[in-house]
Amino acid sequence: MWDKIIGWFEVRIGIGELVKEGLDSCRAPKNVSIFQTIGCAALAAFVIQVFTGFCLLLYYAPNTEQAFTSVQSIMQDIPYGWLFRTMHVVGGALLLVTMTMHMLSVFVMGSYKNPREMTWIAGGLLFFTTVFFAFSGNLLPWSQLNYWQTTIATAIPSSFPYAGEFITEVLRSGGQMSALTLNRFFALHVSFLPFVFFLLLVFHLFLVRRIGISSPPFGTEPENTSPRTAYRKETYPDGHPVYPYFMVRAAFMVMVYLSVLFLLITFLPGLFLPEGSVIQANPLKTPAQVRPEWYLLAPYQMLKLIPNKFFTLSVQVIMGVLFIFWPFFDARKEGNILKRPLLFGLSLSVITLWLVLTIWGRY
Amino acid sequence: MRRRFLKIMLAVLGFTAFGSLLYPLARFLSATRGEPKGKQLAFKKTEIPIGAARDIVFNGTPAIIINRPDGGFVALSRVCTHLGCLVDYDKSKKRLLCPCHAGVYDLDGAVISGLPTRPLREISLKIKGDDVVIG
Repeated sequence: MWDKIIGWFEVRIGIGELVKEGLDSCRAPKNVSIFQTIGCAALAAFVIQVFTGFCLLLYYAPNTEQAFTSVQSIMQDIPYGWLFRTMHVVGGALLLVTMTMHMLSVFVMGSYKNPREMTWIAGGLLFFTTVFFAFSGNLLPWSQLNYWQTTIATAIPSSFPYAGEFITEVLRSGGQMSALTLNRFFALHVSFLPFVFFLLLVFHLFLVRRIGISSPPFGTEPENTSPRTAYRKETYPDGHPVYPYFMVRAAFMVMVYLSVLFLLITFLPGLFLPEGSVIQANPLKTPAQVRPEWYLLAPYQMLKLIPNKFFTLSVQVIMGVLFIFWPFFDARKEGNILKRPLLFGLSLSVITLWLVLTIWGRY
Repeated sequence: MRRRFLKIMLAVLGFTAFGSLLYPLARFLSATRGEPKGKQLAFKKTEIPIGAARDIVFNGTPAIIINRPDGGFVALSRVCTHLGCLVDYDKSKKRLLCPCHAGVYDLDGAVISGLPTRPLREISLKIKGDDVVIG
């Protein structure tokens, strides 16, 4: 029966040939690293976010009167609503973590270098889009915590001269947070950002497929890193076939991701849903000790430490631009970060500083 | 020549069409529907005794009216100029305190300490006989 169904499709569209062609033409280098499969886990995490987000949309009411109660109803009344919401909340945080790890591994392996500059830029833009996803989704439950976190975060751009107030007004749909702000964030979260993310993702995956999987600089057969003058796909004729060699490792990484996700949901369900998230938003009462979400704690702590907001924000914007266009600032051929002590030390310092500021901002 | 002319015209028309959309888009995105302007609020003077205060929402902005012991009535926005938290009135200290980052303002809205660099926005207030009129 199964063979008949497959045969029916095979006769009409030749799906077997299509799959065979696609897999045969795609090979991974011999020294491919397990860390190169983190991107696959990030992709799986995104698919989970889309699925759980759709489930939540079925019961969520995007208006200030009903948003909070609809989310509480999902958590308490709808069968397994708590599971899908917790998966969405925890999964959102883990997606950011996974993407950060993916970018770190790409950075350490120097895989952003010629000819993969555009792949890095698309990945960086995907990362910032995900941050904006998390930021816009944070307001939707309309709880006291989420409301004031968003109030603070949307006030930050106002310190930029000329355009600052405009950016805050655009984000909030006016000078103050209101029902329109919720509409705006909802529209961004479920309509605009998924579209942008999807386009960037398709472009990113197209580049990975078109250029070929990069070869890490640590193995026995490092890729030729001399700048290219003509397009050439890395085919690795002596390498491993992507299926099953690479795909099995990718599946393992996805399983690791799922294990962490469900471990957190089971044993630390309140980690990303603290006390203030079960109190309805009161726009006339700021709770004590409001902090933004964990992924914004480092820039927030910088703003607290340095009174000149314009200076601090400018530094952060410059760092963001430097991050996105890093392949053009790092022109050296050497891909092994361990052979570049200055870059290694600098990267380690920035990561440590970021972690310290995040922990400091939390306590 | 004709092909070049067509190309230039296409570019000009394209930029014009795109450019003419930018301004309406910027205005559309920064619309402030739901914040009525020019509305007035009135209270009896006796409703706010000396040293007391009342929280109000004026034109969509959380605000406070304070009957200062030595300066009479004043209406200030409660939105902290640092990151937008709402300041609270501390009657005993005669100060306005921001719960988020410990910004402190005096009863005129001027910054005394903390991270804010600008004073609280003052809202126009008039005394008309026994009434306090905001706006």
